[in-house]
Amino acid sequence: MFQMMLSGLTIGAIYGLLGMALSISFYVTRVINFAQGQMLMIAIIVAACLSEAGFNPWLGVALGPLAACVLGVASYFIGVRPILKADRFSFGWMVSTLGFGLVVENAIAYAVGPRSRGFPPLLNDIPIRLGDAVITGQQILALLVAAFAVAALEFVRKRTLFGKVGMATAADPEMAESIGANTMIVSAVTFALSGLIAGIAGVLIAPRTFANPYLGGTFNTFGFVAMMIGGGPENPANAMYGGLLLGVLAEGANSYINSQASDWFPFLILVLVLIVTPRGLFSTSNPLFRPRPARPA
Amino acid sequence: MSSANNILEVSSLAGGYGRFDVVRNITLRLREGEAVGLLGPNGAGKTTILRGIMGLLKQRVGTIRIGDTDVTMFPTHRIARGYAAIAPEGRRLFADQTVEDNLILGAWHRRREPQRVQALLDSVYALFPVLREYRHRQSSFLSGGEQQMVAIGRMLMADPLILLLDEPSIGLSPVAVDIVVKALIELRRRGASLLLVEQRVDVAARVCDRLYVISGGEIVEETTPEVVGREGAELINKYLG
Amino acid sequence: MAPSNIETRTARPSSVVSPERAHAFTKIAAAAAIVALYLIATYYVAWANLQFQSLILVAAIYAILALCLDATAGLLGLFSLGVGGFFAIGAYFTTILSTTYGFDVFALLPLVMLATGLIGAILGATSLRVSGLHFTITTFIFTLVITVLATDLQITNGQQGLLGPNFPDVPDFLAPIGQPIAWCVMLALFAVTFAVWSIRRSLIYPVLLSIRDAEPFAEASGVRAAPIKIIVFALASAAIGGAGWLFCFLGVVSPSQFNWSVSLNVLIMILIGGINTTPGPIIGAAFVSMFPVLVHINPWLQEVLYGILSILAVTIVPDGATGALKRIRARAVRRGLPQARRPESPADSFDASVSVGAERAWLDRLLPAVHSSAPKANALGDAMAPIVDCREITFHYGVGPPVLNRVSVKVLRGHIHGLIGPNGSGKSTLANIIAGRLRQSSGSVFIKGERVDGLRAAGRARRGLRRTFQSAQLTKELTTRANVLVGTYGLVPGVGRRAVIWPLLRSAHRDMRLMTQRAGDALRSVGAERWADRRVGDVPHGIEQLTQLATVWVPNPEIIILDEPATGLTSREVEHLAWILRELKGRGLTIIIIEHQTRFLFPLCDLVTVLNAGEVVLTGTSDEVLGHPIVRRVYLGS
Repeated sequence: MFQMMLSGLTIGAIYGLLGMALSISFYVTRVINFAQGQMLMIAIIVAACLSEAGFNPWLGVALGPLAACVLGVASYFIGVRPILKADRFSFGWMVSTLGFGLVVENAIAYAVGPRSRGFPPLLNDIPIRLGDAVITGQQILALLVAAFAVAALEFVRKRTLFGKVGMATAADPEMAESIGANTMIVSAVTFALSGLIAGIAGVLIAPRTFANPYLGGTFNTFGFVAMMIGGGPENPANAMYGGLLLGVLAEGANSYINSQASDWFPFLILVLVLIVTPRGLFSTSNPLFRPRPARPA
Repeated sequence: MSSANNILEVSSLAGGYGRFDVVRNITLRLREGEAVGLLGPNGAGKTTILRGIMGLLKQRVGTIRIGDTDVTMFPTHRIARGYAAIAPEGRRLFADQTVEDNLILGAWHRRREPQRVQALLDSVYALFPVLREYRHRQSSFLSGGEQQMVAIGRMLMADPLILLLDEPSIGLSPVAVDIVVKALIELRRRGASLLLVEQRVDVAARVCDRLYVISGGEIVEETTPEVVGREGAELINKYLG
Repeated sequence: MAPSNIETRTARPSSVVSPERAHAFTKIAAAAAIVALYLIATYYVAWANLQFQSLILVAAIYAILALCLDATAGLLGLFSLGVGGFFAIGAYFTTILSTTYGFDVFALLPLVMLATGLIGAILGATSLRVSGLHFTITTFIFTLVITVLATDLQITNGQQGLLGPNFPDVPDFLAPIGQPIAWCVMLALFAVTFAVWSIRRSLIYPVLLSIRDAEPFAEASGVRAAPIKIIVFALASAAIGGAGWLFCFLGVVSPSQFNWSVSLNVLIMILIGGINTTPGPIIGAAFVSMFPVLVHINPWLQEVLYGILSILAVTIVPDGATGALKRIRARAVRRGLPQARRPESPADSFDASVSVGAERAWLDRLLPAVHSSAPKANALGDAMAPIVDCREITFHYGVGPPVLNRVSVKVLRGHIHGLIGPNGSGKSTLANIIAGRLRQSSGSVFIKGERVDGLRAAGRARRGLRRTFQSAQLTKELTTRANVLVGTYGLVPGVGRRAVIWPLLRSAHRDMRLMTQRAGDALRSVGAERWADRRVGDVPHGIEQLTQLATVWVPNPEIIILDEPATGLTSREVEHLAWILRELKGRGLTIIIIEHQTRFLFPLCDLVTVLNAGEVVLTGTSDEVLGHPIVRRVYLGS
């Protein structure tokens, strides 16, 4: 039981990080970046390839998230900005971010081959006993990173001017421009940040998943579920709480129902949560589809 | 080439949103410390002119100079850095942020000069004391008149060369209109240069030195409040109904 | 709101051979030519080699799916990801029941459609309450659950799937037509395309778009938005189930053909082709389903190319292929014109050339002289009865302080009743409670002597109460005239039922002409007819306001509530508005106005109620209100 909780929390931290990454970019641009999972994947692949090439595995751990960060910015300029520039309320980003993910995934599969490759264990082979349960160093690292990410983001959002201008950009980009904010830079920075977080999530989980070009889709889905359960659209930190809950539930389903249950059980939970509190468990109100400001004529 | 004390010169501005030009051949000027009103019926293009000056029109031709700088090709966020600031139609506050955050965001481009921002903030609170009282309140919870004060305050926080106001009286009760008008007169006394779009002739006449009458996307008349007062009926019948 | 009033006035002089009739003949000929061409093409497909045939048929089935999704996403803004789920149910249901249990496949078709339609109705009813995103997620999960079931259950044979049934052979005399399944698929596509095309030409189309973009306005026009959404979604789901029925005859039925990425692909199809258009989904389906067959390269590179193409499609042509085609055509037309100038917008909103007499005539046509149910002016007793009666209305949001505190207002029949007060005094809240948009915390509202607390906005609209909104709620994509047409909803019966075969019906053509004329009259009465063919997104704020006013009296209501109608109007337009309101009053309408422009309001009103901080200060005549000391202090200023 305790073991299940622990491993649930650690995988949940990964889902939560991904959910936060999705929430951050959604928060500012109202776009769900369906290529977020591919950023996690590219961080893993870069790190794996570097360590395969004989470099110190920690070099890969440093460079992988950086690659994800670059990819995040690229996804903004290729898949999001051209669409929002034409029509802020278009749903075209659904297609373009998915298309971007598809391109990245298959380009990587073509470049390094579609097979899975090994990943250095990092801290994964340092077991730590907690009563009956065992937790690895890597899992502890994941939990620490998650806690740090939540605290840092809350600080940026609430206490810094950048966070406030991000909120302003989210609410009314044209007005944000009119007070002198370069909304393009603000948005690009948020996408970079969300790419970075997804990349960090990637190198944290990689010792368990190994490196495969098609990892992104699954994690994207779970990150999305974490965001929606928690109410990430309102506040990125909520996505982390949603992720932790999701992780525990998925592990629990696997051990108490059957080994396939994590394929569908979390979604069942999501439906129930949304029926009870449509705005997510940890939210107070729903800014998702706020009334559109009338266009001045 | 331009007379030195013109703080805003717009020449041959044309532009619009979709397939249509809303305004054509707009040429106007604003001297330093002057208040100029744009009057005209609905759909005449008054708001479009302000948006054109602010760099918010997608299609636009003509030139715009603010101070000594040609800002025609500047993106909005550069114009907003000290050249012009706008209190837009419908106020458009950042609804889920507090009054003070709205004001501080107005000075976004001065974020590296905290003392300056504080001084500006104090001057806005001096102008609208009620805002100091409500400064930690979420801006969407304010009444229409108070929201308009925040919008004007946010514009002032940018401390720009020219102020653009779009129908500050719209939807306000007579008492609130009076407060806003008095604030604008006070700003004039402090030497601000402002361009005011209004539909209410009385409001424009109380605030402005000169008036442009816009109709059908063009400037059809340049006049003064005195003339409007003297031969008001005739002029009003001609253009405003 | 009696429709009989309208029909009597439409006896047109029947011309012998009108150009209209000649025009109708060309139309019929063109339609016949298109049908003939389509049949020939179908014949060709039915005899084509198997590979080509299955390519076309799969594309056609996807086109049906895309058209159905566009009917919910394009028309109602409901982005469903449930397509895969309904498609799977249709295919599996048919396959299992016919191969394992030996049901007749033709008997299964209505069964399948009924089942998927019902599931759609249930899914819609449970998830449409909240928000668009909630709906998207619920339908996504629905598809996910269906595919997980299909993978895990015994009866569906897991990942391998099942071999679909054979399509029954046709009688010998029909053999020359070729493969019967090809005919079935192609005719189904034709039927669905026709239905969607018809809806876009019917009176329900502006109503649907107003539900999508301006639901409060739709409700205030008497449209019950929620049931319409559920019905449209259920019908689309039934059609998707039918497509699943067709699909299972084409070969193997396996879970991977229906998972959520299929749903997303269908969404991509409509976005690539052009959302809310009839040809768009078909073009998108053809592109997406044929792409992997036509491009033979390394599978990964093929996916990369597909990704790049879909990004380019939505970034370079954001309105899809149909939008791009439209623009190319428009450019070609413009090149043909003698002058290369950009078209100008109508200069001034208000047309001074129209005489008052002519306007009165339009109002007469719109609103017959005295309202049918209005009492005679001298029937004193009846006339003094309140038509709207608010008794002790209290309202608060959540646990906050009351916005309205025991407010009682009686509005007499035939009166113009003003509602003034400082900002935040609760005027709009009271209007929203009378109109049924908000529910009071306590107290009750009587309209025409009937207690209406149980009725929502649409129900009260159907009882003859119409209202405008402080900020205009209109569909920007539609013309001002089409927006006014939404206001006529309910004047002619069976608009929804007739929608799918609209152009075939003579009655539909007549109703369309009548209502269009009515909408035109309403726009003329506010002096905005020159903007009738302009999209609301392209008109200035004041014209939106005038359009909104036209939508209110186009159905000949008994009571209208105007929430700051003069905001954004010039003084001349305000004067004209005052004239119209007096005319309306003369025709027996009761008008409630919230307004700040006191110079406009006071001369107009029979009675004025002043609200302050959620309480009634007084109700009285304009003079009484003007002389009242409290009113002067809190509202008018010195």
